[in-house]
Amino acid sequence: MIAHTPRMVSHEAFGSDTAAIVANVPDPASTAAPTVADAAVAVAGLEALSDELRGCAILGPGGEALAATGDLATWDGAARGLLEAADRAAGEPIAHAHVGTEEGEVFAVRQGQFAIVAAVERFALAGLMLFDMRAVLRDLIREAAAPAPKPRARAA
Amino acid sequence: MPPKPHRALLDRVTGYADEAAAYLRRRRTTRQPFARVHVPGGRIRSCAPETEAGRELFRAAAHVIDAAR
Repeated sequence: MIAHTPRMVSHEAFGSDTAAIVANVPDPASTAAPTVADAAVAVAGLEALSDELRGCAILGPGGEALAATGDLATWDGAARGLLEAADRAAGEPIAHAHVGTEEGEVFAVRQGQFAIVAAVERFALAGLMLFDMRAVLRDLIREAAAPAPKPRARAA
Repeated sequence: MPPKPHRALLDRVTGYADEAAAYLRRRRTTRQPFARVHVPGGRIRSCAPETEAGRELFRAAAHVIDAAR
């Protein structure tokens, strides 16, 4: 009979380190809500991404505007009104909406409990615009789900 | 005498560019206002401006455009 000789010892280290690694992985199912500051950063991010953007607002779970490029109260009513009109037109909550007028174009994207409404120049590329808006919302939700960085322990 | 190879290639590229520019010009002049809503299952509903839903969407979109000014 051949005696079994353990050759792999790395699994021993695996058991002792896993807890520390898992503690730093963001939980995608977390219910943490983005703050107003997070939303303001997301609005600035979309402005930087899109040359054709005129203005936008990010709406929170209650349908209230968290941040906008202009006056928050004006955007709150306008963005909320567009989402409500789009939901009524579809007969159910929309994933996204696109309205093209002589004055410009308007996009609305909903992801999870959050939504973003944007006014852009005429003939903006719809696919690109929707991609940018979705990316901004996804980042916003992901950052909210990520745990706050733990303070480093001071060396004695 | 046959055209030089690089000349033929240039003419071809210029032809494509002209076609694309003409398409964009036609699109700008003929594109009508529209409103489309997409639901999570992938269904799309187009709302004509003369319908009640379309009117409501265009009104709401006008408010959003005003807010962005």
